[in-house]
Amino acid sequence: MALVEIKNLEAAVGGKPILKGIDLTINPGEVHAIMGPNGSGKSTLSSVLAGRETYTVTGGSVLFDGKDLLDLSPEERACEGLFMAFQYPVEIPGVTTSYFLKAAVNAIRKHHGQDELDAMDFLKMVKEKMALLEMDKTFLNRSVNEGFSGGEKKRNEIFQMAVLNPKFAILDETDSGLDIDALKIVANGVNALRSPERAILVVTHYQRLLDYIVPDFVHVLCDGRIVKSGGKELALELEKRGYAWLETAAA
Amino acid sequence: MTATTISPDNTAILSALGPSYGLPWLQQRRSDAMELFERIGLPPVTHEDWRLTNTAQIAKINFSAPGTGTPLTPEQLAGLCLKKLGAQQMVFVDGKFSPELSSPGGKVEILTIRQGMEKHADRVQRFLGREMPGQSNGFSAMNLAAFEDGAFIYLPPDQGDMGLVHLLWINASHDQPVVVHPRNLVIVGSNNQITLVQTYAGFSSHPAFCNAVTEMVVGKGAKVELIKLQRESDTAFHIANEAIHVHEHADVQSLCVNTGGHLVRNNMTVHLAEPFAQATLNGLTLAAGDQHIDNHTMLDHARENCPSHELYKHLLGGRAGAVFRGKILVRPDAQKTDSKQTSKTILLSDAAVMNSQPQLEIYADDVKCTHGSTTGPLDDEQLFYLRSRGVAAADAGALLTYAFARDVLLRIWHTGMREYLEEFVAAELHRLHLDQAES
Repeated sequence: MALVEIKNLEAAVGGKPILKGIDLTINPGEVHAIMGPNGSGKSTLSSVLAGRETYTVTGGSVLFDGKDLLDLSPEERACEGLFMAFQYPVEIPGVTTSYFLKAAVNAIRKHHGQDELDAMDFLKMVKEKMALLEMDKTFLNRSVNEGFSGGEKKRNEIFQMAVLNPKFAILDETDSGLDIDALKIVANGVNALRSPERAILVVTHYQRLLDYIVPDFVHVLCDGRIVKSGGKELALELEKRGYAWLETAAA
Repeated sequence: MTATTISPDNTAILSALGPSYGLPWLQQRRSDAMELFERIGLPPVTHEDWRLTNTAQIAKINFSAPGTGTPLTPEQLAGLCLKKLGAQQMVFVDGKFSPELSSPGGKVEILTIRQGMEKHADRVQRFLGREMPGQSNGFSAMNLAAFEDGAFIYLPPDQGDMGLVHLLWINASHDQPVVVHPRNLVIVGSNNQITLVQTYAGFSSHPAFCNAVTEMVVGKGAKVELIKLQRESDTAFHIANEAIHVHEHADVQSLCVNTGGHLVRNNMTVHLAEPFAQATLNGLTLAAGDQHIDNHTMLDHARENCPSHELYKHLLGGRAGAVFRGKILVRPDAQKTDSKQTSKTILLSDAAVMNSQPQLEIYADDVKCTHGSTTGPLDDEQLFYLRSRGVAAADAGALLTYAFARDVLLRIWHTGMREYLEEFVAAELHRLHLDQAES
């Protein structure tokens, strides 16, 4: 059974249609990349899947692991195993990363009828994941994303993904604002989290990230529709030819 | 303030002078204050400093001096007591010192103001009414005329760390409106360090009116942390006038936490009287229902090289209203002043109202003064971020408000008080959120 089944999805913001009928099926274990020019609707798609309320779904459906995703609140989606790595991670002064993660982990455990993780087990698990992303020890006691560099914020997103262990992860322009070293750390983290049970959707403007996170499928989004799908070679072709030839085709 | 020949009609609230203990100077100050009060009365809303806090409702109530109220239960006392933090504690019930509830013994000599008049007659005569004279406003005049009891603390110079002192003022439950006028005088000699906590609490469902004055002098090189916890009953009127005179190289930090009261006004005046004196004024207000909580601060930079910081935060639900007005006065001699003022508010309901006003008066040319103010609902982006990680909407809101409040509490120097207030504020926030959920 497909893990994610998006059918004819339409969404608008402030009455303006952005997504104009997206069809996409993602199976467990697959890595899909969504590419497209600015304004094509890439981030809207991520936001709609994560449940951001500024977007209105105007048509279509999304099944996630057999459930109607659009019917769930953002926190229910997270508890069911959906994770979005933010393009612009939010700073939360006064809330330590450790406190924040414990709240998230335990909310998800509670949803599945599990007991809260005790402090020792939590710390042990978190430290393993920190090593994966090469994170500094002081990090847990710092406020969430406060004063972090762009690279640290993106690493923190993938670290959270490692901790929360989702079935389906959306990486929304995770490469934006990263230098090559930070990009490699982030990509290594993501690759370590690839598994036969987990699907990943990589949303990006540039092909560069896909050198490190090699996708099984590449889709090109133009003006709210997927205009072309293919294998990883499609990303290379886009790198050479740009998006213009596809935009013309879409229009 | 302009003098007027027309007597205001709200002076009946002051019925009698407080005791003079046979001291002619005190008798004189009291009658002068009474005369002044009869002339100016309670501040009208037309007065610039009082236009956002209407005290007329206080004058409408017929307050009397408290008789014997319902005895306090051990549970009520336990919740207010700081003995477990090793505090020397002085307890006043309905405005009167309660020796049986107090445990004033310890490094600091804590006296009642009456005892102070016997033992430190010259000092009391010299300092009583100096920092907060009757002339400041009708409330301070009324206090000087009528105060009955309070704490007097004098720390001789060079005693080192003097620990934690707690002044606990409790209004018991009464079957009628009552008024008390607490008066505290604290003189910290040079090079001492002390944490002074004032708690104002109440249990009456009838309005209690607490009209407090606290005066403090902080000697050269002393380090003083002043914490006030105002948790009166939700029918109470609480007016406090506090003034601190800071000598050179002294460092004062105050925190004013407000969770109770129906109508509350805190005036905090700090005189940075000598070079390298330093002041930090922090505030945290949690209000809901019909509460109105007003904090006015006045930082008077008289001399050069004095830093001052202010951070006042407010969490407002229901139809609560809050005011923050921070005046910074930089006098001509106060070169190299470095002053920063911040007011931040989260509105948890559409009907809550915040009024934040900086007021900078600068007469020196080489100074740095900044101010900033933000007011708004909980941040949607932060809420969504937390929810996208599985945290339920209500829990995400609670987590963000706690973080907002805790930011102020983390600045407390005294570890025990910091932990005590973190716990207290968490419980109060829980109440605030429940209140929101019901309304």
